[in-house]
Amino acid sequence: MDYIITTERLTKKYKNFTSVNNLSLHVRRGSIYGFLGPNGAGKSTTMKMLLGLTAPTRGSFTVDGKQFPRDRLAILRETGSFIEAPSFYPNLTGRENLEVIRRILGLRKNTVEDALEMVGLSEFGDRLAKKYSLGMKQRLGLAGALLGRPPILILDEPTNGLDPSGIHEIRGLVKSLPDLYDCTVLISSHMLSEIELMAEDIGILNHGRLLFEGSLDDLRQSARQAGMSDGNLEEVFLSLVERDNAARKQRAKL
Amino acid sequence: MNTLAIELKKLKRTGVLPLLPAVGILGAAYAFVNFLVRGDGLLRLPLAPMDVLLTQLYGVIMILNLFGVVAAACMAYNMEFKGGAVRKMYMLPVSVPGMYLCKFLLLTVLLFAAVAVENLALLKMGQSRLPQGTFEMGTLLRFAAYSFVTSMPVLSFMLLVSSRSENMWISLGIGVAGFLSGMALAPSASVLLCVHPFVLMLKPAVAMSAQPDGTVALLALVETSFFLGAGLWAAKKLRYE
Repeated sequence: MDYIITTERLTKKYKNFTSVNNLSLHVRRGSIYGFLGPNGAGKSTTMKMLLGLTAPTRGSFTVDGKQFPRDRLAILRETGSFIEAPSFYPNLTGRENLEVIRRILGLRKNTVEDALEMVGLSEFGDRLAKKYSLGMKQRLGLAGALLGRPPILILDEPTNGLDPSGIHEIRGLVKSLPDLYDCTVLISSHMLSEIELMAEDIGILNHGRLLFEGSLDDLRQSARQAGMSDGNLEEVFLSLVERDNAARKQRAKL
Repeated sequence: MNTLAIELKKLKRTGVLPLLPAVGILGAAYAFVNFLVRGDGLLRLPLAPMDVLLTQLYGVIMILNLFGVVAAACMAYNMEFKGGAVRKMYMLPVSVPGMYLCKFLLLTVLLFAAVAVENLALLKMGQSRLPQGTFEMGTLLRFAAYSFVTSMPVLSFMLLVSSRSENMWISLGIGVAGFLSGMALAPSASVLLCVHPFVLMLKPAVAMSAQPDGTVALLALVETSFFLGAGLWAAKKLRYE
């Protein structure tokens, strides 16, 4: 199997708290990988480690065959990212914000218009970013990630703050990306119902541990084996998390 | 060069670019008007005419420059923190210390422009208002260079402070506290107090002679390099969390 992102027993500890615990992920090239878990499960921390924003305590990872920390800049050059909340210069317009990123990445001028168009911000490109609504800021953040159509996209809950039609639009956009141009998307969410509509493969994380990794069909199959209805994957996800939480409590008691 | 152009672009609408040249124009106007109105009185002081021209006007000019530098340094990093833009920079293949260095260079050029404008006014005043044959171009140039060099530690220090503090009011507060404590300590002859960057900037303003103090100038260069080095080192440590 051709994996573009692999992590090997990746661990992140903050004093007494383990945010990510021996995580081994395998993201197929050209796929949309849904990274699922309740709030605080370690999804964002994992993504931050992949971007070199925080150093792993233990373990390693490769992105397109490149090793961290040696190839950090090369990894960032081919990875578009959107982590937690949109980040922008409030004193610049949406277009100028993207222009700054474009210059850093050394991309062609028309990439800015392309990115604005992809997220539906073309007509608001000349408005100051500080005057954008939350949804527009979210789109601007996404445009920053999509600028130059990078081969790898790391998106951390990109639909946060969007209205239902915005969520639908962004979901459609993310889903179309691998067909639009050859790219791999690692997208996180705490809602399986959302991931189910976009991703081919999923990884379920709870308290920093990977509870499941595989395709949606694999998840359905394991649900059937556990005697659950495979029609409602949200229920499967919740029961996986609850079972893990119960086991943790049991271990804590012992 | 690309990073410098990017940093220049980022400063659009922040007010940093016009601030220091405006301070320079204000300082020049103050020197011009003050010497026109009080020139004869100042020249009756028991000081050499060049000392009168350079030291008696420098106090206010220095305060204008100081607050200009403090405000410009705070604003230069405030725009990075305000919308969380610096977090996006951490995710891009850009050198964060390189960004810091470019901000330092841009502020240095802007301060240099302000000092140049102020000294052009002093040049004009010196040539037209000082008694015949007392104006010395060399002394003016030396004092201009001295006042610029002694201002640099504050610029270097304030850029370091503003790059580490996400709240601009904390940086501004440190700048004001630095000015007030500097004012209290500057008249002291103790060299030890010169570790305080604001004291160094105030030294030419409390002196009665336009002759540069070599020790003060040397300490200013050392402190400027030290704070710049500390800022570059600190910029290497990404503070995402």
